[in-house]
Amino acid sequence: MIIQDNLFLTRANPSGQGGFQFLYRVNDYGLSALSGPQEEISMIHWEVEIIKFTDSKTAGFETCHTTELANKTLKFYTDKSLNEFIQKAFQYFEELNSLEKMLPDET
Amino acid sequence: MANVKGSSVCRTAVDEGKPADWIPGGEKQTVVDPMKMFHELPREKLFITGSEAARESMRRANIDIAIAYPITPQSESMQQAGYLYDEGYIKEYYRAEEEIGTFSAISGASRAGVRSLTATSGPGLMRGMEAISSWPGARTPIIMLNMCRVINTPLAIQPDNIEMSFMLNTGILLLHAENQQDFYDYPLAAICASEQVDVTLPAVVSVDGFFCTHARGPVEITPEEYKLPPRDGWRSAVPAMDNENPPARISRDAPIQKSNFISYHMHSSWQQEVFAAVERSAKYFRDYLGGLVEVVNPGAEDFIIASGCAVSQAREAIRQEGENGRKVGLVKVKTIRPFPTEEILDAVKGAKRILIPEFNQAGWLHKEVCSVLYGRCNAVIKDGPRVFGGMTMPTEMILEWLEEFRKEVK
Repeated sequence: MIIQDNLFLTRANPSGQGGFQFLYRVNDYGLSALSGPQEEISMIHWEVEIIKFTDSKTAGFETCHTTELANKTLKFYTDKSLNEFIQKAFQYFEELNSLEKMLPDET
Repeated sequence: MANVKGSSVCRTAVDEGKPADWIPGGEKQTVVDPMKMFHELPREKLFITGSEAARESMRRANIDIAIAYPITPQSESMQQAGYLYDEGYIKEYYRAEEEIGTFSAISGASRAGVRSLTATSGPGLMRGMEAISSWPGARTPIIMLNMCRVINTPLAIQPDNIEMSFMLNTGILLLHAENQQDFYDYPLAAICASEQVDVTLPAVVSVDGFFCTHARGPVEITPEEYKLPPRDGWRSAVPAMDNENPPARISRDAPIQKSNFISYHMHSSWQQEVFAAVERSAKYFRDYLGGLVEVVNPGAEDFIIASGCAVSQAREAIRQEGENGRKVGLVKVKTIRPFPTEEILDAVKGAKRILIPEFNQAGWLHKEVCSVLYGRCNAVIKDGPRVFGGMTMPTEMILEWLEEFRKEVK
């Protein structure tokens, strides 16, 4: 089973194409892990996006391709490799949050 | 395939080419009370495909015989059934010649008093419909897994649950799984309900193919060392056939097949009893599944009534509506037969608008809901959105329909 920590929302693939989406959240950042159907079951994989939440309470988010973690959609073919990435991402998000707090408030 | 002892079901290590100390997996399991299995046993959470969820359900179902003919998207599940046969969890399993043969043979197996499982998809179901429609009248408890797909031309293998409408008036118990979890739970519940003395009917668990069967989802399963009690063939509304002394003709009641005034009345009574048995099954499903429906956000003015994958899409739609401060209710219909008339009426009694999204062209659930709510509910019922032929139903589609609906019905 994939990591359940920081799991913000589990839902059916909102595109309606089947499968499930897991949204993880650490402060304002997070990741979306989507597992959809494949005609060849052995080809089932995870599609992962780094995301930035647009609201503090809702699940609204934008895809974020500007972090050091990833500048594109990532694919993982095993739960193990996904879990390793999630752990790494959680640590990165914590650090990113600390760094962003140090920035001057532009508003 | 008979073994060295001449038995058709008793498998030995020698027959199977296994080590001498091989014990069939099913013989290592412990029988557990169904209610304990459904509600008390601890569960482990896995992330598996719908086909794998079906396999884990079959593993715990104490299946005596499985017969099937492969068809996409059912093939994955029945391949998994093959593994279970190899491991000794299913006692007999073979691929029949095609679907009429499959569904006739599985009927014979059930008449012999053993727990019988088959599975099919779209066109396969259509091909075997003559045999399938004879199951309820023959009072044969059979479990059929039905992985829905397009049935009509042009050929497609994508999800579309129009085929379920063909089973609505057969006397079959019909459940519609929303997701992989349901495709694990519902077959076990359906088996137990179908074999009750006052039911004794076949049961079909339908699921939207590919979206569930070929995708992974979270599934909580009970320990594999536990299985359902075996079928007791003599504990039925119509006793199992004694295959050691087979009857000269296998009709359940030969006089019914004569063409005379009395036979018509007998046939009529027989049919009434079949459909009464469908209604009697409701109490068992209520116990096993915790209700024939699931209601989210009771008391809402706007309601969505859905079954199968449409429930998942509706679930997300009402969550997003909630984020925007709008309360929208959801009725998930678990059992299509028996149809949960009173439960639906109770859930939507205060509703003003009811939306019924479906993955088929005909809108069979809309027709079902309208037929039971007509004259008994003040809500306006809207038939849609509908997608079919393999189309998807994005959450936004439901949200847009809700918005339009609110403008139409103030």
